[in-house]
Amino acid sequence: MNANLSRARFLAALGTTALAACSGSRGGGAGAASVVRFGVSGPFSGDDANYGRVWRAAMDLAADEINRSGGLHGRPLELVYEDTQSDPRQSVVVAQQFADDPSILVELGDFSSAASIAASPVYERAGLVQFGFTNSDPKFTAGGEYMFSTATSVRADARIIAKRAARIGRRHAVVFQDTVWGKSASSAYAASAKELGVDVVSVQNYLPDTKDFHAVLGNVRAANPDVVVYYSYYTDGALLARQARDVGLTARSVTTGACYNQQFIALGGPAVDGFVLPVEFFAADPRPAVRRFARAYETRYHEVPDLFAGFAFDAVRIAAWAAVDGGFTRSGVRDAFATGTRIPSIVDGPFHFGADRRSARSSERWLVIRNGGFTLWNDA
Amino acid sequence: MAETLLSGLVTGSALALAALGISLIFGVADIANFAQGPLLAFGAMLGWWLTAEAHLPYLAALLVVIAATACLGAAIERVAVRPLMNAPRITVLLATVAVGIVLDRVTQLVFSPETRVLENPFPAWTFAFGGVHLDFFDAAIPAIAAATAGLIAFFLARTKLGRAIRASAQDPDAARQMGVDVAAMQSLAFALASSLAGIAGMLAGTYYGNVEPAMGTSLGMAGFAAAALGGLGRLGGAVLGGLTLGVVQNLGVTLFGGAELQVITFAAVVVAFWLRSRRTATDAGASGAAFFGRRALAPPLRPALIAVLVGALFAIPLLCGPYVLRVAGEIAIYATLGLSLTLVAGTCGTISLGQVGLFAAGAYASALFEKDLGWTFWCAAPAGAAVAAVLAAVAIAPVAKLGGQELAIATFAIGATIVALLLNLDALTNGPLGISNIPPPSFFGHAVVSARDDYLLAAAAFIACLIVVGRLQASPLGLAWRALRDDAGAAAASGVHPAAYTSLAFAIGGGIAGLAGALLTAQYLYLSPDIFDADTSVLALTIVVLGGFGNVWGALLGATVLVGVPEAFRPLHDYRILAYGLALLALVRFRPQGFLGYR
Repeated sequence: MNANLSRARFLAALGTTALAACSGSRGGGAGAASVVRFGVSGPFSGDDANYGRVWRAAMDLAADEINRSGGLHGRPLELVYEDTQSDPRQSVVVAQQFADDPSILVELGDFSSAASIAASPVYERAGLVQFGFTNSDPKFTAGGEYMFSTATSVRADARIIAKRAARIGRRHAVVFQDTVWGKSASSAYAASAKELGVDVVSVQNYLPDTKDFHAVLGNVRAANPDVVVYYSYYTDGALLARQARDVGLTARSVTTGACYNQQFIALGGPAVDGFVLPVEFFAADPRPAVRRFARAYETRYHEVPDLFAGFAFDAVRIAAWAAVDGGFTRSGVRDAFATGTRIPSIVDGPFHFGADRRSARSSERWLVIRNGGFTLWNDA
Repeated sequence: MAETLLSGLVTGSALALAALGISLIFGVADIANFAQGPLLAFGAMLGWWLTAEAHLPYLAALLVVIAATACLGAAIERVAVRPLMNAPRITVLLATVAVGIVLDRVTQLVFSPETRVLENPFPAWTFAFGGVHLDFFDAAIPAIAAATAGLIAFFLARTKLGRAIRASAQDPDAARQMGVDVAAMQSLAFALASSLAGIAGMLAGTYYGNVEPAMGTSLGMAGFAAAALGGLGRLGGAVLGGLTLGVVQNLGVTLFGGAELQVITFAAVVVAFWLRSRRTATDAGASGAAFFGRRALAPPLRPALIAVLVGALFAIPLLCGPYVLRVAGEIAIYATLGLSLTLVAGTCGTISLGQVGLFAAGAYASALFEKDLGWTFWCAAPAGAAVAAVLAAVAIAPVAKLGGQELAIATFAIGATIVALLLNLDALTNGPLGISNIPPPSFFGHAVVSARDDYLLAAAAFIACLIVVGRLQASPLGLAWRALRDDAGAAAASGVHPAAYTSLAFAIGGGIAGLAGALLTAQYLYLSPDIFDADTSVLALTIVVLGGFGNVWGALLGATVLVGVPEAFRPLHDYRILAYGLALLALVRFRPQGFLGYR
């Protein structure tokens, strides 16, 4: 009897909560009309939270700069961060939340291609641009008319790396993290290497949360390559570099912009000395726009902005430009993205999106790690 | 070859250290402690902070880490475990899951999510052995693991305090009569096991070269696998299991590649359990009752109640906007997944922590039937469910007779193996790239894509499954299952063949989990291995435990709370997941029998 009573009370309470949840409206007060809002769907907790932290730092910086200089045609910009842990289960719900909120003009993120692609149908239906600025998986922008990305497509990137690596040696090994990015990048690399007539003597994969690479690297060493190409993030990349020394692997090392982070050097120590990598963004880039951003970022956060910081800062500014250009409507923003010819960007300079809704990128800059720092690599 | 073995032994020693604490708690407190992974990460991060930021010498830092994790362990025992002393073990397991969620988030908030270098303070002498370069620490770590296990074993076997700990675990009542403070002993056991996690986290971090708050997940899982491989509860077994796993992992990775790591790890555990279960006498019913506690019969499904539910579920789209409907759609899918366990756990008295494997199998199978064979959703979804049902009967049912927490670990490993295979069966699943552009279900020419349509589809499927499970529970078959749950021996004597009936429950439950997977496919129209992780199995179990075991309505209520709460907590931003963990802990603590369960 007692159990039944408390159960009834509990159910009543739950019912009330559910009703409140149903009738409650989100956002939108009287003064809200003048505020321009962008939704950010990203990993602000969970295993990828370190990337979310950098995103938020760079995006806050961009928004504050815009607001200090008078906002967007006088309208203040507000970023609405929603945590998804880069989990598709949560990114779909967050997508619906943004789609329902008419004050959201454009969405930025998510971090992982999987979380973004799962949410794409919701954005597509809502006519809301999903700007997945880190999603290098070609499937992401192929998912609909409203999906845009500034991440270099893995194919273009692979061609650049393979060409340069072929000048170092003719026996290549590829080590990649077995994710959407690593998998498609390594297949693209194999294709490029074949075109160049280079031997890929070993292809090794690993799970992204691996800590112990001795066996994987033992296989690489056994194939006796001249060059090893690592498709890794900076955390796993630094461990690979350290453990490569443990197993006595002496080949030259090439990696990608994903390792462009001071932490790569801090974590890898002397083991990452001599690594070369192509980058889209470089904090010590002499161009004034980059200098301004890097200085502001370092002053505020006491760290050097990495690749993801550069992209996140850029993403807010690109979206802000599109909001103004598109007359503060969702369809206007979509048109601005699709047809803009000189979109401002600190990463690319003025650029435009190609027919595949990715930025048509042509510049190629190489860095080398020397004496515990990234410097431009000028060896021809 | 010798090289692979040697580096496998070093790797294995790190895993053995992680396994020791898990095995200790299991052995002396009979608890599968899912907070051990987060404790490892906490110990590692504290070790980093003490050495790198507070500039303490390494050994002093290690002592502080040991003390801090021991206190934390005692606190966990006091807050989450002791109040549940008389509750079924499954509730305690869930309490440790909740503690793990809280601890993981706290570690991340305190130390920031960044990866850090944990400097190796040991002499840099290296020995070249074949092609492997071993440094001093590499050589020392197996010795440290063996010495730690030896010390603990000596303490438990030879000292008065150690014997009191074991006595409290074996027979609390007898121990109490002999003047042993049982609660204090359990607290001591937790402190000891937690300090082992601290040691393991710091030493493993030193061996790998860096530490991060997220490292507890994979290291904790590997520790569980090692402990399970060596036989849960045996300290020597934990060391042996760790070393074996290290060697098997290194051999497997050398032969098949690094991405096979999880498959290798969990397949090894599954094989170990299959072998062990062949030697175990059938006693599922007996341990099942101890594990779940005895439950009153679930009330029969009344048609009037179903009518009210149908009315309510179909009224929601009239009242709520797309965002709430999107959440409600997810709730319906996870409630359906919960129902798959209601039958297995609540009715038949066994447990599965591997539902994610069946959920994923149903999702992938239905997607492939739709995309590759061109079937409509209405054919592909039941076919996907059938695939999951067969998988459940073939893979999970054979270990069902293990019973209790061993069964929980075995099914956990099976689920993890299936999920890991999604990544590696490239030809079938497309590996990490996943399957995209899956056509949406078409309802008389109308594409089911909006939040409302997705919700209605999921709600309708949930109601259908609810009626099926309710009817099964009330049928003679349900009676046979309950007989198995309450007394397997007596049931077998009256002609209810335990293995056959258990397999049937698993198969039907698997089919329902597979159907839930097909609904997920219809909602996302995209599948990738990232969508499915071991946490999903824990979520499914939590849904039925919180909802009330064996009660079909409990699945709906449990899913509403567990899927809805993280959404409702969104205004808390950084503290959202922390609050979710705390809420979960409070629910388990104050309502261990579940919302709709009976004391």
